[in-house]
Amino acid sequence: MCILIIADIKNNQINPATAELFTAANTIAKDIITTVYLLIPCNDVKITSNYRPDVKTIVIGMSIYNYNAQGLSKAIASIAHDIKAHYIIGLHTPFTIDFLPSISIEYNAHCITQVHTIQHDEHLTFVRGSCSGKLDQYIDIDNKPVVASIAPGSFDEYVADDTDNSINDTINEVTQITIAAAEKQLCTFITKENKDSSLDEADIIIGVGKGIGSKDNLTLIYNFAKIFPHSAVAGSRIVCDYGWLPYSKQVGITGKSIAPRVYIACAISGSSQHIAGIKGAKTIIAINKDNDAPIFNISHYGVVEDIFTFIPQFLEYVKRL
Amino acid sequence: MSIPYKILVCIKQVPDANAKIYLEKTKPHYDEKTVYVINRYDEYALEEALQLKDKGLTHYIHTISAGPDRIQKALRRSLEMGADEAYHIVTGDDDCAIPYYVAQCITDFAKNEYDIILTGVMSQDAMNQQTGQLIASMLGYNYATGVTGIQTNDDVITVTRELDAQTSMQYALKIPCVIAVQSSSIIPRYPSLSNVLRAKKQHIGMIKPIMSSQVQYHSFYTIPQKTTECEFIQGRTDQKVVELYKILHRNAVV
Ligand SMILES: Cc1cc2nc3c(=O)[nH]c(=O)nc-3n(C[C@H](O)[C@H](O)[C@H](O)COP(=O)(O)OP(=O)(O)OC[C@H]3O[C@@H](n4cnc5c(N)ncnc54)[C@H](O)[C@@H]3O)c2cc1C
Ligand SMILES: Nc1ncnc2c1ncn2[C@@H]1O[C@H](COP(=O)(O)O)[C@@H](O)[C@H]1O
Repeated sequence: MCILIIADIKNNQINPATAELFTAANTIAKDIITTVYLLIPCNDVKITSNYRPDVKTIVIGMSIYNYNAQGLSKAIASIAHDIKAHYIIGLHTPFTIDFLPSISIEYNAHCITQVHTIQHDEHLTFVRGSCSGKLDQYIDIDNKPVVASIAPGSFDEYVADDTDNSINDTINEVTQITIAAAEKQLCTFITKENKDSSLDEADIIIGVGKGIGSKDNLTLIYNFAKIFPHSAVAGSRIVCDYGWLPYSKQVGITGKSIAPRVYIACAISGSSQHIAGIKGAKTIIAINKDNDAPIFNISHYGVVEDIFTFIPQFLEYVKRL
Repeated sequence: MSIPYKILVCIKQVPDANAKIYLEKTKPHYDEKTVYVINRYDEYALEEALQLKDKGLTHYIHTISAGPDRIQKALRRSLEMGADEAYHIVTGDDDCAIPYYVAQCITDFAKNEYDIILTGVMSQDAMNQQTGQLIASMLGYNYATGVTGIQTNDDVITVTRELDAQTSMQYALKIPCVIAVQSSSIIPRYPSLSNVLRAKKQHIGMIKPIMSSQVQYHSFYTIPQKTTECEFIQGRTDQKVVELYKILHRNAVV
């Protein structure tokens, strides 16, 4: 069997979370003899230590500044064809998910996205979040090749075994594939600096979601935060899109990752994109009026209440102490 | 050259955030009380198209949706917001239809009729994040996903794609193209009264879906396993208040 792993690119280098894909590949392979290839989608990214140097490496001869999803997916499909890949897996990030599904069209494969669990008993089953995270979808794999994106954080990072002397610090085999000049685009990268460090320094972060209803209602959340000495207020993407909080306060996969001692999610549903940013929090508490809200699946404590009744009562109680 | 652009916007109707979901055997089921809305990201996609119309770059915005009869409400709403024509691909009541099949149906409808096809970056319910990419590849068009900004200069379309909190990518897309729109600080408009009146009289075109595709897989649904054992604080509201205070105290934040 053959598995092709696609390295994710972040800040011009290989995203360290790519190492999670080797664990996912091991789960897919189980006891079947498997060749694993690592594909690096651009030839001008820094290669850092967190990837497996013991696997065959293929580098696409495309500069990240000439990125073109269509050209790249065709190039990867032709490689998949040459090595007879059964599984092509990448991380479910904005970078990789842009071109990954297209490989399935070029390579005539199934395309399964946002996979968070892989089961390999008698059958191989990919499990993904669906129905706004309220249900899991189990997909049984047949003989057709599969292109899959794996949600970051779903698998532990693969750690190379020191006793395995096939591992060294050089790339074993580099194959350069070039994509057609016509398919190159001229890309610029824009970086905005986020100088706001309040979310990095706080002991407790109060997260607020769409359920707050309006910018004016945020006073309630600020008053709640004021109870705690080292606190900060953060929001879901929706709250930032609406301009109720600046984007520098957005938590999640396209926002900040936070690691406070306590995170209190107020009227936040707990989408996988939001949860991706709060995995570092030691204790997660959710206040939500919907007892089925997915946020409770990853919380340590749950309060099923309307924030507009609960938080004022909490403030009253603290005042009286 | 391509101006005015012919634009197609893909609209999915989804249950709103408050919808209760049940398992019917192994399939998702929503009850009769469920309120359906336009997928959030598709509203942003439509808004981007309408802003191109405001600039005089198009007078030709069509919307398309695949699904059962109830989705006509979403299509009607797209007309109220300012779309010119709406089309309904009449498929079964399967919210979680395989994206490959949905993409095939839309591709078959779009053929080579449109300069720009807009989709949302993701459907809120199924969360596939792949339909736009599949449509683009089936048509052989250039595309970009996670787009938070579309700039136009004559017939050059430049997109801004969000990668993470700090980084975006910008490049020109050759037309015809597919653009999968991410939410941003633009606010999708409310329908104006005149548009609402106009939309009332408009006809929604019915389109037959293509025959079922061969790329099918077997799937079933379950309730997710919890990664933490969430301790629900019990009692009356005032008791929960006291209990939460104790927990916060134990965690040394108060
Ligand atoms: C590519 C991509 C990247 C994304 N990146 C991010 C990201 O980085 N961060 C992020 O947050 N999101 C991100 N999102 C968006 C994400 O998918 C969700 O749409 C978003 O997180 C939902 O925000 P929310 O929980 O505030 O709102 P909703 O999902 O609408 O949830 C509101 C919740 O509030 C509850 N509620 C309502 N009123 C009350 C009340 N009075 N009292 C108590 N509870 C109440 C409801 O029960 C519901 O659970 C991304 C999406 C995509 C497609
Ligand atoms: N049934 C459908 N009808 C019309 N458009 C759809 C449908 N399903 C998905 N789309 C479009 O594809 C985008 C991405 O959906 P998905 O790949 O399911 O996350 C959505 O935002 C819609 O624009």
